[in-house]
Amino acid sequence: MPGSAGRRLRVAPVALTVLLLIKVGFFLDRRAFLQFAAASPLIGSVPGTRSVPHYRICTRDSLPRGTSLPRRYPGQAVRVQADRAVNTASNTIDTPTVRTMLAKGMRELTGAEHDRDAWAGFISPHDVVGIKVNCSGAPQIHSSPELILAIVENLLAVGVKPQNIYIYDRFANQMQIVKYSECVAKGVQIATAEHSRGSILGYDPFTYVEVDFFGEDDTRSNLFRPVTEKFTKIINVPTMKEHRAAGVTGCLKNLAYGSFSNVARSHQREVSNTYSFIGTLASVEPLHSRTVLNVMDGLRSLWHGGPFLQSPQFLFYPKRIVLGTDPVAMDHFLIEMIEAKRKEEGAPSLFDRSPERLRKGPELDKNFNSFIREPGHVEYAGQLGLGIYNRAEIKEKIVQL
Amino acid sequence: MNNVFTPFLLPALLLPALFWPQGPETAPALRSAGIVDIAVPAAQAGSWKTVTAIKTQSIDLHQLTKAATPTVNFRTSNASATREPWVDSNGWRFLRQPGGRFHYDVPGKAAALAAAEAYAYGVQAVVKTDEAGLKPFGEMIRFLQSLPPGDAMPALFNFEYVDDGSPAAGEFMNLLVRTNLLFRVVKEPGSSGGMTVALGSAEYPKSEAGNPKLLAEKVRAHLTDEKRLLRVYGSDVVIGRLVGSEAHTRLFLLNYGAGHGGVDGIRVRVLGNFARQQMTQFQAPGTTLLDYKTGSGATEFTLAHLPVFAVIDLQR
Repeated sequence: MPGSAGRRLRVAPVALTVLLLIKVGFFLDRRAFLQFAAASPLIGSVPGTRSVPHYRICTRDSLPRGTSLPRRYPGQAVRVQADRAVNTASNTIDTPTVRTMLAKGMRELTGAEHDRDAWAGFISPHDVVGIKVNCSGAPQIHSSPELILAIVENLLAVGVKPQNIYIYDRFANQMQIVKYSECVAKGVQIATAEHSRGSILGYDPFTYVEVDFFGEDDTRSNLFRPVTEKFTKIINVPTMKEHRAAGVTGCLKNLAYGSFSNVARSHQREVSNTYSFIGTLASVEPLHSRTVLNVMDGLRSLWHGGPFLQSPQFLFYPKRIVLGTDPVAMDHFLIEMIEAKRKEEGAPSLFDRSPERLRKGPELDKNFNSFIREPGHVEYAGQLGLGIYNRAEIKEKIVQL
Repeated sequence: MNNVFTPFLLPALLLPALFWPQGPETAPALRSAGIVDIAVPAAQAGSWKTVTAIKTQSIDLHQLTKAATPTVNFRTSNASATREPWVDSNGWRFLRQPGGRFHYDVPGKAAALAAAEAYAYGVQAVVKTDEAGLKPFGEMIRFLQSLPPGDAMPALFNFEYVDDGSPAAGEFMNLLVRTNLLFRVVKEPGSSGGMTVALGSAEYPKSEAGNPKLLAEKVRAHLTDEKRLLRVYGSDVVIGRLVGSEAHTRLFLLNYGAGHGGVDGIRVRVLGNFARQQMTQFQAPGTTLLDYKTGSGATEFTLAHLPVFAVIDLQR
């Protein structure tokens, strides 16, 4: 392809602790080793012994590079908490409160006195902005239209034209459930990659990650085409959920698995390659550099069985949004949130890799899961340079309304 | 490029015929479908002689090898080692008996796919179908007749497959075909000097014959994806076949899921740099290839839609 470049991804150096564990694992049987690894008291202290497949990244290099700053605030996250944000009795969200939460959070993150200045640090009037939502749990849990509305209002205030704002996700059938178009300004566009499941037409044939996980013949995962051809900036608006394969689904997974095709192939039986695939996908340009802001929707959440609400008992209401530019740090805090909730509910840790916890889904029992979860994907993404994972180097500011 | 040309020829006029066991009173239905050549049972041959504008030949189906209905079985209720749908392709049968004569018994729209499949593999075949299959079959025959000449275009392959004629070897071939691994069948190894695959060899022991999927994966790993003459992305139900030369290659693409609907978007990679291309597609005239790209020793393009069958000519 003229103007294209392929590059091979080098696996980041393996931490000494991992090597030590591999050595220990060498002398233990698999079950005993997994239990040993699961017994680690530190959250995400060890990525484990997962082998990393060979990834080949192909992307266009003739694209104009934006002036985006994906790590403008490395290691920082701002959590805005408001009890009145959600009426749990009626399961409804209070739009004015969400507006206030977003405004407070943006000002806290940027230090700006006014909302417009805060947003103008990320977005210019000439930008074409993709808002990456998450609809995989709709209609029970998804990026809240109330939050999307507030984001769109701020983009318009900066001067972005409505027709240059795209709310996007992969699957049309899931987007249709949420009906974002009914709550945002006229002219704002709804974009999806797959009108029929599995169709590759919405993806860029020249930008993909090629990898063979389980012998599947289709080894490519292609990037949503507007990311390479249309958007100049992306605002990532994930939900904050437990995920039965990835451990959690937050900034990184929403961006990665929500922008590339053919990703479900990474899980087979109890094995999930989310550990390395999520970070690898999220690192692909121009997706990485155009994603300038993450606004995590934690108004509602799931602590088990995610990404879909398999049972109402797993739904809970953190009543928060979290803002930042460092997806690794933000997802680290998400892991902490889900771990705390699971502990409160008496559920095993996300990092528990015990074979006896495996049971083919649905995940209706908090003690069992279909996959060995891979929350280590967040730390792995940190090793790829997508953000800071080390707990001592990251900070979450909390704003209580 | 690790491909070698086989002496197998693809006769341009080797068109499948309709096998029609019904009497001459059904001639209007045939004419309505545009069918002017049919094969009939010997017992019916006399009665058809008086019918005008329809040529007949008598055929004994018992002398022909039965081909399966080309289709896809999703088998969602069955546990399996993969999530891939099960493609019922006759490719391996045709490769095993390139000079064989075959007959299909397929209902409805599958008659069109059957005719295309036989044509793509260059075998003689008759297609028995029902009334619902007459129109699609007739349309496919006219489509095949309209194709640019492709006389004497040899099949292209990545490796030779030593076929011992056993059912296990046949199933191994079936999985290779379904994975779009292109091979030529030989009786003895080593005639091309290239890669050879044989069930019972050290690399592909008979003890693994119970898992032909695994064997096909081993072949693929041995060959490597980079060297594959053909890759299809975006669908598990499209099987391709390549004929021609390094200067002019013709690609046949068969959508085995046609009975379940067209395939929305496939990306194809063919080894070799081809500057010029032309696609002719059944039931989709005028469609063109998208995002065409050549370079690094390969050519890639996208088909926005593949209803049943496409023929793509690639030239340097």
